[in-house]
Amino acid sequence: MSGARVSRVPLDEEKLARAALTYLAEPADPALGALLAICSPAEVLAAIKADMLPGTGPGCGDTPASRAALHRALSRWRTRLPSLPDDEEIAGARRGGIRLTCPGDAEWPCALDQLAQARPYALWLRGNADLRFACSRSVSMVGSRAATGYGGHVAGEMAADLGERGWTVVSGGAYGIDAAAHRGALAAEAVTIAVLACGVDYPYPAGHADLFAAIAAQGLVVSEWPPGRHPARMRFLVRNRVIAALGCGTVIVEAGERSGALNTARHAADLGKPLMAVPGPVTSVQSAGCHRIIREWGANCVTRAADIIELLSPLGISDALAPVGGPDRAWRPDPGADRAPSRDDLDPDSARVLDALPARGGAGTSTIAVEAGVDLDTVLRCLGRLAGHGFIERCDRGWRLRRS
Amino acid sequence: MPLARTYSVALIGVNGQVVEVEADITNGLVGMILVGLPDTALREARDRIRAAIANSGEEWPLRKITVGLSPASLPKRGSWFDLAIAIGILAAAAKVPRAAVEEVMFFGELGLDGQLRPVRGVLPAVAAAVDAGFGTVMVAEQNAAEAALVPGVRVIAACSLTAAADWLRGTPVCDGSQAAAEYEGGHELPDSRVRGVRRSVSGAVSDSSAVLDGRISRMAVPDVAAAPDLAELLGQPTARRAAEVCAAGGHHLSLLGPPGAGKTMLAERIPTILPRLDTAAALEVTAIHSVAGTLPPQVSLLTDPPFLAPHHTATKAAIVGGGSGIILPGSASLAHRGVLFLDEAPEFANDVLDALRQPLEAGEVVVARLGVIATFPAKFTLVLAANPCPCAKVAGPQDGCRCSPAARRRYQGRISGPLLDRIDLKIELEPVGRRELLSDRTFAESSRTVALRVIQARERAAHRLRGTPWILNAEIPGSELRRTWPPMPGSLAAVERALERGLISARGVVKVIRVAWTIADLAGRPRPTRDDCDAALGLWLGVRR
Repeated sequence: MSGARVSRVPLDEEKLARAALTYLAEPADPALGALLAICSPAEVLAAIKADMLPGTGPGCGDTPASRAALHRALSRWRTRLPSLPDDEEIAGARRGGIRLTCPGDAEWPCALDQLAQARPYALWLRGNADLRFACSRSVSMVGSRAATGYGGHVAGEMAADLGERGWTVVSGGAYGIDAAAHRGALAAEAVTIAVLACGVDYPYPAGHADLFAAIAAQGLVVSEWPPGRHPARMRFLVRNRVIAALGCGTVIVEAGERSGALNTARHAADLGKPLMAVPGPVTSVQSAGCHRIIREWGANCVTRAADIIELLSPLGISDALAPVGGPDRAWRPDPGADRAPSRDDLDPDSARVLDALPARGGAGTSTIAVEAGVDLDTVLRCLGRLAGHGFIERCDRGWRLRRS
Repeated sequence: MPLARTYSVALIGVNGQVVEVEADITNGLVGMILVGLPDTALREARDRIRAAIANSGEEWPLRKITVGLSPASLPKRGSWFDLAIAIGILAAAAKVPRAAVEEVMFFGELGLDGQLRPVRGVLPAVAAAVDAGFGTVMVAEQNAAEAALVPGVRVIAACSLTAAADWLRGTPVCDGSQAAAEYEGGHELPDSRVRGVRRSVSGAVSDSSAVLDGRISRMAVPDVAAAPDLAELLGQPTARRAAEVCAAGGHHLSLLGPPGAGKTMLAERIPTILPRLDTAAALEVTAIHSVAGTLPPQVSLLTDPPFLAPHHTATKAAIVGGGSGIILPGSASLAHRGVLFLDEAPEFANDVLDALRQPLEAGEVVVARLGVIATFPAKFTLVLAANPCPCAKVAGPQDGCRCSPAARRRYQGRISGPLLDRIDLKIELEPVGRRELLSDRTFAESSRTVALRVIQARERAAHRLRGTPWILNAEIPGSELRRTWPPMPGSLAAVERALERGLISARGVVKVIRVAWTIADLAGRPRPTRDDCDAALGLWLGVRR
C-alpha cells in the first residue's frame, strides 16, 4: 500500500472514526499524529481494533525502532477499546447541543492545522457560535488562577473592549484571569471561547458551571476530549497548545514564575504567533512571569485592548480600532468622535458658554448663563458637553477652564 | 345555646386577616378565659371589658365565660378586639340579638367607663373586612372618617359600648336620633379635610399644604407665605434642576456640600414639586400611616406625597419597620410614594443604611417576627445629604476645614457601594457668592411652575412605559435601558469622550442615559437627543471626584 493515499471513505464514517479516536487516544499523541498524516482515520481505527499496523509508509514503521514504537502505541490505545462506546452511542453523545467538528469541516479553524502532527483529531463543541468565524479575529487571554484584583480587572476590561470591537476571546475555564476574561467578553455581549481539558459537558471547576452555560449561550465551549471525560493534571498542559493556536495572538495578563500560562505562551511563541504580556507592579509575584517573558522572550508589553488590536491587525486595516456598532451600542462613538474636538468644532452655544467662563478661577452656573446670554437649560447642557470633552472642570465655586 | 360569634380583623403589616371571636357562656366557676394566642395587652382586655360592661349598665353574666379567637395559630395583639369580645359576650348572654352581631365587623378599644376609643390601622382593617364580604363595620367615632374611605362599606360610628349595643338592638335613644351615626364609605365626610402631612420622627406635625391645583387651593391654607417654594433656593440652579429631574423620574438623589449650602432646604422642597397621589396610591399611603398611628386627627386621606426625615440616630427598626409587639412600619414605609430624606447620611449606622437596600431593590419591606411575616410597601425616592467631611466646616482661608483627604474619603466612603449604585443623581452644592445670587434671580422658578412640568414628564414616561412593570424612568434596569431605550444615535459623543478620559464609569453612563430620558420627558422630546444626554452628563460631572 502506498503512503500518500486519498481517502475514499465517506465523510460520516470518517467523522465517526475521528470521534472514536478522541475516546481511545490522548490528544497530541505523536504516534497517532504521524499515522493520521498518512492513513485515513477509519483505517487507523480499524487497525487499532484488529491490532495490526496499517501498512507502511514514509516516516511510519519503516524502521524497526519506529515499528516497535507503533506497536507499543497500538497496545496503549487498545487498553481503552473495551470502554469505547459503539457508533450509535458516539453519535448520541452529540445530544444536548454538543457537536463534533473535524479537519476539513466548514467550521474547522485552519489555525489548528499549524499544530501539524499535534493537531487535534477532532473537536467537541458546545455553544451557539461558529468556531471558524469566531477565530478569524481572536485573542487568547490567559493568566494565573490566583489572580489579584488588578489582574482580574485588567483582564475583564480588556476582554470587554476587545469584544466591543468585534474580537473573540479564547481562554481556559479556570478561576482567576480565565474567568475574568470570559466575564468581560460576556458583559460586552461578544463571542468568547472556553477551551476545556475535560468533556464539554463536565463543568470543571464546578463553581464555573453557570459561567460555562453562559459561554455556551453566547460563545463556545471547546474540548479535544469526548463528553464525560474527567480532567487530569497533564491534560491542561496538552490543552494549552489549542488555546495558543485558536488565537491570532496570546496575551498573558498575570502569571507567576511557574504559572501554566507560561506554557501557553511557549506554545504561542513556537507557533510564531504574537506574544503579549500585561505588566504589573514590579514587586508583584503574580506578575513575575509576565515580566520575564517581556524581558527574556521579547513579548510585547500591552496595556489596553487597542494595543492588542494594533499588533494583531493586518496592515492597512484602519478601522480595526473602531468598535462594531449595533442597535444596542448606540452610545459607542460615531466614527470621527475618536479624535479630540477642538474649540472650533463646538456648536455656537457651547462656544459662547466656553467664552463666558472667566480666565482665572471659577464661576457659578447662573453667572455663566447670564454672561453667555443663554437660558438655564442651554447652559446646563453646554456645561455637560464641555466637561465631557475636557474643556472645563468642576471647582469650589462652580466651573472653571481646564488647563490642558 | 349560649354561644355567640362576632368578627374582627387582625393586622399583619398592612394586610388584614378576619378573626372570628366566639363567646361561650356555660355553667362552671365564675370567670372569663381568653384563648387563641393573645398578647399581654389583649389578655388585659378581660378586665377592661368586664369594667366596661358593668359601667355601661349592662349585666355581667356570673357564669363561666370562654372567649376564643380563631384562627388560634395567628398571634393577636393589642386592644383592637375589645369591642368584638364585649359584643360577643352580650350576644351570648342574649342581651343583643345574635343574628345582628354576625353581620358586623367590630374594631375598637374599650375604656373602663364603656367609652369606645379609636385604634390604629382602621383603614386596612376595613378594607380587609370588605374583601371578606362584610358590608358593615362598627368603629369609634374618631375612626369613622378613616373607615369611610373604603368604598362600599357602611360605617357605624359609636361613642360607647352602650351606643353600640343600642344600635344593634335597634332602640332609639331618648332624643330621637339614632344611637350611632351611619356613613356610607367612599364619600368624604363633611368635616374631613384633605390635608398634607409633613412630619419628622419627633412627631411634630405641620399641616402646610402644597397649592398645586384649584381643587386644593380653595382649602383653608393658614400660611401660604410660609409654605416652602423651590424659588427660594436662589443661587443653586443645578440643584434646582436636579430636584426637578429627581421628582420627574423618581431618581434617587445624593447631595454633597458644606453646611449652609442648602442641602436640607432643597430636600424639603422636593415634595412641593411632586404630583399629588392618585386615589390608589393615597389609600396605600394612608393605610400605612394608619397602622403606624401617625394619621393626624380629622385627616382622612393623605393625598400629598409624604416626606420623612428620620434623625441619624434612628435604629434599623425605626427605618425599615419592626418592633417586638405589634409590627409597625418604619420611615422607609411611611415615605412610601414620597421622599425619604437622610440628612447627614454618613452619620447613620452602617446596618441602617444597608437595611435600605432591600426596599430600594424590591419596593417593599419584609419584617419577620415570631409567627408572622409582615410586608409593608416602601417605594420611595431616597434623598441623601452629606457634608464633604466630618468637621462640617466651610473650606476657607482661615479656621476652615483641616480634614485630611484621607479623612474626607473615609467619611464619604461610609455610604456603601450597593446603596450608591442605586443613586442616579449626585449633586455638589457650593456656597453661593453674591454675583451668582444676582445672576440666578432671572432663572429661579416657583414650585408651581416646576410641578406642572413634572406632572407632564411623569405622564409621558408612564405612557411610554405602559405594558412594562415600571412607571418611572428610575425603575428601568440598566440592561433594559440599553436594549429597548437607547438615546438617539450619535447623541452620546460627549459621554463617550468622558468615558474614555475616565471622568465617568460604564455604570455612570447607564445612569446618565436614564437621567437623559427624564430630561427629555421634561422637555417634551420623544427620545433623548444629544442636548439631553449632555445635560445629564453635566449633572453627573457636577461632583468633584
